[in-house]
Amino acid sequence: MASSANSNPVPKLYRSVIEDVINEVRELFLDEGVDEQVLMELKTLWENKLMQSKAVEGFHTEEQAALQAAAQQQAQQSQQVTQQTQSQQVLLPQQQQAPQQQVIVQDPKILQHMSATGMSAAATAATLALPTGVSPYQQLITSQGNVSQNVYLKTADGQILQVVRAANGAQYIIQPQQQMVLQQQVLPQMQPGGVQAPVIQQVLTPLQGGLPQQTGVIIQPQQIVLTGNKVQQNTQVMQMAGQAGQMQQVQQVQQVQQAQGGAAQGAPQQQQQPQAQGGAAPGAPQQQQAQQMTQPQPPMMLQVDGAGDTSSDEDEEEEEEEYDEDEDEDKDKDGGEDGQVEEEPLNSEDDVSDEEDQELFDTENVVVCQYDKIHRSKNKWKFHLKDGIMNLNGRDYVFSKAVGDAEW
Amino acid sequence: MAYQLYRNTTLGNSLQESLDELIQITPQLALQVLLQFDKAINTALANRVRNRVNFKGSLNTYRFCDNVWTFVLNDVEFREVTDLVKVDKVKIVACDGKNTGNTAE
Repeated sequence: MASSANSNPVPKLYRSVIEDVINEVRELFLDEGVDEQVLMELKTLWENKLMQSKAVEGFHTEEQAALQAAAQQQAQQSQQVTQQTQSQQVLLPQQQQAPQQQVIVQDPKILQHMSATGMSAAATAATLALPTGVSPYQQLITSQGNVSQNVYLKTADGQILQVVRAANGAQYIIQPQQQMVLQQQVLPQMQPGGVQAPVIQQVLTPLQGGLPQQTGVIIQPQQIVLTGNKVQQNTQVMQMAGQAGQMQQVQQVQQVQQAQGGAAQGAPQQQQQPQAQGGAAPGAPQQQQAQQMTQPQPPMMLQVDGAGDTSSDEDEEEEEEEYDEDEDEDKDKDGGEDGQVEEEPLNSEDDVSDEEDQELFDTENVVVCQYDKIHRSKNKWKFHLKDGIMNLNGRDYVFSKAVGDAEW
Repeated sequence: MAYQLYRNTTLGNSLQESLDELIQITPQLALQVLLQFDKAINTALANRVRNRVNFKGSLNTYRFCDNVWTFVLNDVEFREVTDLVKVDKVKIVACDGKNTGNTAE
């Protein structure tokens, strides 16, 4: 696309709306006694979500793009001053940002916190490739034993996580408080002089509703497993698997938002399992265990039909009155499927709706607008609409007027 | 009061999610933010957007309830001067455009 004919009005519109809202809301925040920083966090979260959704093209303004470029240049220069290997670490996550787009724009923020000391917060955070909502918060504290420097990560919720770097070079995260839950893949081992790419991707998922007590979440070198309720798609986290020849711990926890109860039960199990494992184990058995971990968990998928349906209970109850006990046993073995098969032909004719399945999955293309006039002649409909926002095939469009025809 | 219609858009949903994530924001404050968003988006759409779209397709369902039209169309082509977008299915939700009066949804 050498030249775009018309500039897309959507990013500018969204930007202006965001600015308006944030500015109007600033007073409200102050009245409520909420810090300005929270307002900035809100804005950042909002913008990041918009970027992640890919619904808007070229969402970032040119100014911010220039800012990022400048910040990246500064990062590269200053890190070359400190250590060579670390500069490679910074470069690699940035290179990987292009295809992935999930490791996002935290670099400018990270780099703002850089200091001259060895493994600074920036290098740590760069290697951690923080996603949305986490900003490194560096605080030099007298060490505890063999820990050289404590680096703290401050998440969107204001929780402070301590990133501890042990003597063997592995990094792991101490979560002193309960409310933050992390999904993480860790590639450890920065071998000096080696051309390794220890890129660590985190998916930080703030917890909604609170899991029950999970104090002192895990810290083992090279293993960090935490459950998250809000699922960022695991495809994001799985980008690491492509790198061969390096120790990888891939531990996935797949959960759906609605399965909070299951998650609460699953979490302590997961915590115990990695704790039972030894220290430096080869990657393969751990991956197997990771897979095993996902299996015993109760299925977290949203189940809409099938054996778990409530309606089947009613059918089974009715049938038990009518049929012999033998057939009841058969139903129990088959999970009630026989019962449903016999009932379905009777009731299935009543149902016309085909759409329920379609509506549940994928982007439904939606247009939200106002109508000026809706007209019908026989089965010919004419629509006169205005001020609309459309989401079609995953992309956002806007219009001030829309005219349409359809036949019913 | 402006229509709350636009909350279920990319922009609106991302705002709601962000408000949910930040615990320092009380539900009351979040509501105020959303109300402000409603005003801002309504104004912006009315004043800052100036383009026209045509579409045609087949009407699958229509509903008119509480002065809100909801349509489901199939095999629709959305045509703008610049480009063309085709979808198999689209849902259109439209509130009354005459002098946005009510608080709507």
